[in-house]
Amino acid sequence: MSTVTEPAPTQAAEPRRARTTDRARQERSLGWKLAGPAFVVMLAVTAYPIANALWLSLFDYRLTDPTNRRFVFLKNYVVILGDPIWWRAVGVTLLITVITVVVELVIGFGLALVMNKALSLIRPVLRTVILIPYAIITVVSAFAWQFAFSNTSGFVNDWFSFLPGISETTDWFGGFWSSLAVICASEIWKTTPFISLLLLAGLAQVPEEMQEAAQVDGATWWQRMYKVTIPNMKAAIMVAVLFRTLDAFRVFDNVFIMTAGAQGTETVSLLAYRQTITRVEIGMGSAVSVLLFLCVVLISFVFVKGFRINLAQARGEG
Amino acid sequence: MGVRRLRGRLDGSAGRAGPPTVVLVATALLAGLGLAACGSGSGSGSNALTWYINPDNGSQAKLAAECTAQSNGAYKITTSILPNDASTQREQLLRRLAADDSSTDLMSLDPVFVAEFAQAGFLQQVPEDLKADFTADTVQPAIDASTWKDKLYAAPFWANTQLLWYRKSVAEKAGLDMSKPVTWAQIIAAAKAESKTVGVQANRYEGYTVWINALYAGAGGSMVENPTAKAEQIKLGIAGPAGTAAATVISGLAKSGVGGPSLSTEDEEAARALFQGDTGGFMVNWPYVWSAANEQAKDVVPDIGWTRYPRTEADKTSRPPFGGIELAVGAASKHKDLAFEAAKCITSTKSQIEYMVNSGNPAARNAAYDDAAVRKAFPMADQIRASLATAAPRPITAYYGDVSLAVQDGFHPPSKVDPRTTPEDTQKYLLEVLKGDALL
Amino acid sequence: MGAISGRERAAWLIGGLVIFVYALFPVAWIVSLSFKSPADLTNKKFLPTSFTKVNYEQILTGGAKDLFLPALRNSIGIALIATFISVILAMFCAYAIARLNFPGRRLILTTALAVSIFPVISIVTPLFNLWREIGLYDTWAGLIIPYLSLTLPISIWTLSAFFREIPWEMEQAAQVDGATSWQAFRKVIVPLAAPGVFTTAIIAFFIAWNDFVYGISLTSTNAARPVPAALAFFTGSSQFEEPTGAISAAAVIVTIPVVVLVLLFQRRIVAGLTNGAVKG
Repeated sequence: MSTVTEPAPTQAAEPRRARTTDRARQERSLGWKLAGPAFVVMLAVTAYPIANALWLSLFDYRLTDPTNRRFVFLKNYVVILGDPIWWRAVGVTLLITVITVVVELVIGFGLALVMNKALSLIRPVLRTVILIPYAIITVVSAFAWQFAFSNTSGFVNDWFSFLPGISETTDWFGGFWSSLAVICASEIWKTTPFISLLLLAGLAQVPEEMQEAAQVDGATWWQRMYKVTIPNMKAAIMVAVLFRTLDAFRVFDNVFIMTAGAQGTETVSLLAYRQTITRVEIGMGSAVSVLLFLCVVLISFVFVKGFRINLAQARGEG
Repeated sequence: MGVRRLRGRLDGSAGRAGPPTVVLVATALLAGLGLAACGSGSGSGSNALTWYINPDNGSQAKLAAECTAQSNGAYKITTSILPNDASTQREQLLRRLAADDSSTDLMSLDPVFVAEFAQAGFLQQVPEDLKADFTADTVQPAIDASTWKDKLYAAPFWANTQLLWYRKSVAEKAGLDMSKPVTWAQIIAAAKAESKTVGVQANRYEGYTVWINALYAGAGGSMVENPTAKAEQIKLGIAGPAGTAAATVISGLAKSGVGGPSLSTEDEEAARALFQGDTGGFMVNWPYVWSAANEQAKDVVPDIGWTRYPRTEADKTSRPPFGGIELAVGAASKHKDLAFEAAKCITSTKSQIEYMVNSGNPAARNAAYDDAAVRKAFPMADQIRASLATAAPRPITAYYGDVSLAVQDGFHPPSKVDPRTTPEDTQKYLLEVLKGDALL
Repeated sequence: MGAISGRERAAWLIGGLVIFVYALFPVAWIVSLSFKSPADLTNKKFLPTSFTKVNYEQILTGGAKDLFLPALRNSIGIALIATFISVILAMFCAYAIARLNFPGRRLILTTALAVSIFPVISIVTPLFNLWREIGLYDTWAGLIIPYLSLTLPISIWTLSAFFREIPWEMEQAAQVDGATSWQAFRKVIVPLAAPGVFTTAIIAFFIAWNDFVYGISLTSTNAARPVPAALAFFTGSSQFEEPTGAISAAAVIVTIPVVVLVLLFQRRIVAGLTNGAVKG
């Protein structure tokens, strides 16, 4: 995978503002003509609804009680931010995010190393099997894990009954930590491949000669990993972490299928769903949605500013 | 020259591709819409009725076909299946009704949702001339559940209630006389003494509310005291002596360990599996378990006995849970008269008997229980009828969804229920929710 | 690579085997479940004692077919149309980004990124509200439009990355050699761009196929309910029975297409996934 870094000949290296040439103008209008539709569609399907949600969140509005719609300004936000249920959901969501992202980084790195070194004979095979969890429907993965751990149909209790604390009748979905463990397991299994592929691409960018030079200098495997490999992969690691963090923060499918929020496993997405779809409290639900959106924006901001990830620059978009 | 070539090429490629793209996208969108229209094409025709049914073994679809045939072309009913559990059924229907969907001609509603839907103006009131038809010979709780603010909004179709099922061998060993009314405390003690289980529904779902509500009613209480009030003015009876009694039973069952290994996720089926298994002792459950046991656990059947739902307090008659299905007509339906016509056919005594025999779901009309075929299929027919007559419906309020969710939340998991604090806390919390001062 | 010792080779092979088991174990489990008879389902063993087709019969010809088959039709149709539309839109967009120098390229890429990290659940409420007012609720179009928010951003990123690698000068070379501009485009550029477009389509399809939140929130009947949503609403043979077997069988069926796509195009998919995200 080589990158073409030199600008294509048709591109003006520096658009000169002083004298916008005829051609630059044409290119500009054509560029927007071609890219415009996609841009407009993206905005239409996201920006408009979120603005609408912002508006709805200022009302006390219940779908089954349409006549009683009242403007309450920020009251919904005050209620939510003062409610332990919200903070608990945020805590659980962060917990799931941290656990899954950390574990996935470790496992994903291992998978990437193996695939990087794998003999050319088995590499396509590995690439294929690693893609299967990525491509499988999350709901299917959730059911597979749920059935495996259930104490009516699962084999897990049967297989692991030699471990302390696990018996034939262990009820995995009967407690907070055990439910969380299964939810995270399903999440990890499904999304690690994506991380490992990104890391594999990063590994490919580590200059071979640096590795060799380090080896000649007598560096151990760990030292090489720490001094050469990881620093050179920083961009790939950061991108992988950012994508997965945001993805994990929106976790919904697994929790919905496995516990539906019981045992205190309710996540922020599930809370929004419950207010809006189950309780048809449109106002309250919209407020939760807006807050969730703000959380995601905040996380991205922290990453981009804190870790200086500039995706566009990383891709030679300067 | 570069410019010209650029433009030339663009006219050649992009320009040429321009119109086709638009056409393609438009075609794709139209195709989608067209197919979607085909998908929901059942709503076409001037006499086509859509009936949203809860899942069963196909008996409702059969009734739909029979009534269609009987109407001599007056109407044509097609059925559309809703999801499995009551809460999800409500969600799906609610969203359709809120979208003013004209296909909501007929709906099989869980009794607890009639009030909410009627209050929101989603349901068509039953015409005066049909009222007598729909309520004649029908068990009272089913009529109550179909009524909102003294107006009838649905036709009782079938009525469900729970019995206490027991393993004769276990009751005998424990020395319990099952011919006399038994209390929860007694069966918990008996199961504990024999190292057997008591199957209940204590997963965090609607079935848990069913159990809790029956315990309240059995102690002479009711969770909502003025069901027709507005959200801000609702008075609750969750805290108080009935609450203490209900919470005592739940925590007693959880703490004594007779609830089985996965009490906090136990639903109807898990309770049945437990009851049919080696540790089976007692169970509260709907009558469907009888036919299910006859199909799947023949060797256990001779050992199965049944009696009235257990008492919460020794000196008060028990109030078994009430469930079932009421048939309602959507306010947005374009064929309301036809829909009521069809409802009349579907809920007739004859149809109810047939449905009871085919599906195992008990009828809402008393006469059905004297039918020979019914008595053959249900040896406990008299017990079901007697239980139905005094069954306690769940609170008939427009805010039932919130009430139920808050109660499930407050009382879950069963092992954490404390008779001193749980009812109190749940009541406080639910009041805040109803005022819009708390999330749920 | 230098010479690899036998021990090292064995270590990598074992590593490969671990990956193999890791990736396929849950899939094998759900396949095994789907072949279990009702009595077998609760035997708590990994493998069925005897293979039975009863679960597949139930969802394809039996009691659950009214729920499953329409859902399958919806899922295929909706995912394909959404994929098609987003790839077409993304193609023009990516072409402009890769080839033309106009202000706003970064804005578009940043917007795409912002949309792709958007919490889906946040816009379900307003969409539901809008859909029921304009009659798109529970229709195909009502799902296709929000699916674009999932598939379009990734399509734009992936395709931009692919298009940036196409040596566009070749087109001019062909024109110098006397081909008309249309011929040059068709003969030179299309073959170069096609693999990227195709790969993008596969990835977009995976994403649309996988959606659950929109599927359960914006539909309520067979008219538009996609498979993942239908799976969550499966029912057993009586009102209270656990539909484990039926769910497993349906899960296997909806997994077949993605597995086939992976088997056929694994190399391209990997390139597409990493191209779109990492470019150092």
